[in-house]
Amino acid sequence: MNRAKTRVTVAGVILTVLLFIAALITIVPFIWMLLSSFAPNSEIVKVTGGLFPAPTTVDNYVAIQERFDFLRLFGNSLFIAIVKTVIIIYTSAVLGFVFAKMRFRGRNLLFGLVMSTMMVPWAVTIIPQYEMMTRFGWLDSYASLIVPGMLSAFGVFLFRQSITGIPDELIEAAKLDGASDFRIFHRIILPMSRNTIAALAIFTFLWNWEDYLWPFLMISDEKKQLLAVGLKQFNGQYGTDYGGLFAATSLAIVPVIIIYVIFQKQFIAGIASGSGK
Amino acid sequence: MSNATMSAQWEAAPEPEAIAESEHPKGRKPRRRNRGYAEVGARIFSFRNIAVVLLVAYFAVFLAYPIIKAFAGSLHDWNPLVGTYEWVGFDNFRQILTDRLFWDSMWHTAVFCTVATVFRVVLGLGFALLLSSRLVRFKDTLRGLFYMPTITPLVAVSFVWMWMFDPQFGMIDRVTGLDINWLHDPKWALPAIILMTIWKDFGYATVLYLAGIMNLPSDVYEAAAIDGANGVQTFFHITVPLLKSTTLFIVITSLISYLQAYVQMLVMTDGGPGTSTYTISYLIFDQAFQKYNFGVASAMSVVLFLFTGVLTIIMFKVSGDTEGLS
Repeated sequence: MNRAKTRVTVAGVILTVLLFIAALITIVPFIWMLLSSFAPNSEIVKVTGGLFPAPTTVDNYVAIQERFDFLRLFGNSLFIAIVKTVIIIYTSAVLGFVFAKMRFRGRNLLFGLVMSTMMVPWAVTIIPQYEMMTRFGWLDSYASLIVPGMLSAFGVFLFRQSITGIPDELIEAAKLDGASDFRIFHRIILPMSRNTIAALAIFTFLWNWEDYLWPFLMISDEKKQLLAVGLKQFNGQYGTDYGGLFAATSLAIVPVIIIYVIFQKQFIAGIASGSGK
Repeated sequence: MSNATMSAQWEAAPEPEAIAESEHPKGRKPRRRNRGYAEVGARIFSFRNIAVVLLVAYFAVFLAYPIIKAFAGSLHDWNPLVGTYEWVGFDNFRQILTDRLFWDSMWHTAVFCTVATVFRVVLGLGFALLLSSRLVRFKDTLRGLFYMPTITPLVAVSFVWMWMFDPQFGMIDRVTGLDINWLHDPKWALPAIILMTIWKDFGYATVLYLAGIMNLPSDVYEAAAIDGANGVQTFFHITVPLLKSTTLFIVITSLISYLQAYVQMLVMTDGGPGTSTYTISYLIFDQAFQKYNFGVASAMSVVLFLFTGVLTIIMFKVSGDTEGLS
């Protein structure tokens, strides 16, 4: 009896250790990047010595700020990503509510149409949208980044899935109390969708934070440029300043990881509840 | 959805108000007392109607119109720099279908999609099974670590891997002892990009499979154990079939997103060396925004669009599960 128990425990410990090794291998690129961002160039390109350069200096961060005003790019990206995330969460929740709990002619057809847009490649719409923005005179303005991206079919899908699970009785009761749909949405539906909001928030923030092509096409003013595009430009101009590149890349990655670590629990619950089930 | 919700949505029926009144005798006034224009207005400008109308209008402007315009543009000689927009019929399609680079790109795309999707599914399922074992501890931490690459920005991660693959100071060669100039060798550039993509994306499949495994009915497993099924039999005859809808979801979303992948190539190789990492979406980017052949690029995007649509339909048909996504 005791022996069997010990064997199970040992197996568990071994399995856990193996999985931790795999997990460590998974995040090694991040560790390497972060350590390198605090190392001088000579240390990074050194062929001999350990795998990881020793972190000794913050010069790389100071340098990229002086040469490229990275904080400004960072701020611009933060602004755009937050604004779009808030808008998309709101529109997705409203439409998720409409598709989950309201009845109207053509509802399923419309929902199917919204879902099928997930299949439309960016390559199809980007040229006409580019032309449209040019004609609107929105080049170099943030309207061109925000307005065409205010809806997310993926978001509507996630919210419809989770709102369907909210009992009708709850909504009925609120109605009998004289609550309008507007009020029901804000007082009942939104507060009950916390996991979905967290999941969609992280994804939408990430997608806008990493979006390259659209800001690259829309924005040419350096002062308005976003981080992803700036990163590529920095690489083009200072391709051998590895320390600076590592620092710039760390600045682009670390904030997203911090947000993820904070919301991890709700986030994964939200993803799991919304997909494939 | 209950019938009560539907009717309450459709007609501002008098019954709910009457109930509301009787249930609140303490003088709390029911909302709508005066029937008439206000009422009609409230019904027309209801929450639902406003949302649906805005949705349709938005889709018409930012989606339907661009799609139609892309189809129209594919039939024109269209170059915004020179200002041309002239009808050429199917010339653009004829041109790309006889273009060697187009077929090379299609081939690279097929390899990229297949390998990346297969590894994503296999690694995702494998790690999910291990993580769902009762013996493993610190599950939340492990799951969080595996998921980390998935939530990091692709442009930045592509840079990190560009340096990982560096033959001079990159980690890959130093750890493995290999001497391969990954991204500058036509043989190795595409595999290197695929490797990076697998690393970035397997966590997504792991999390979805974990959710799927948690929802598996335990009585089926008990029955199998009673019947004397071993672990391998249980896995292939029970676990895999029961996870079919999760697998279908992962495969379809992966194929759709990998058909559209271009960032890795743009950052790490610019399609090179030569044209060895041109994929269909990178080719479209190249035609549209480096050569400004909008007509040709539109024709390619139409081909990609039809391809994606057909592939999705086939996936649903093959699996015989039309409800996989809903």
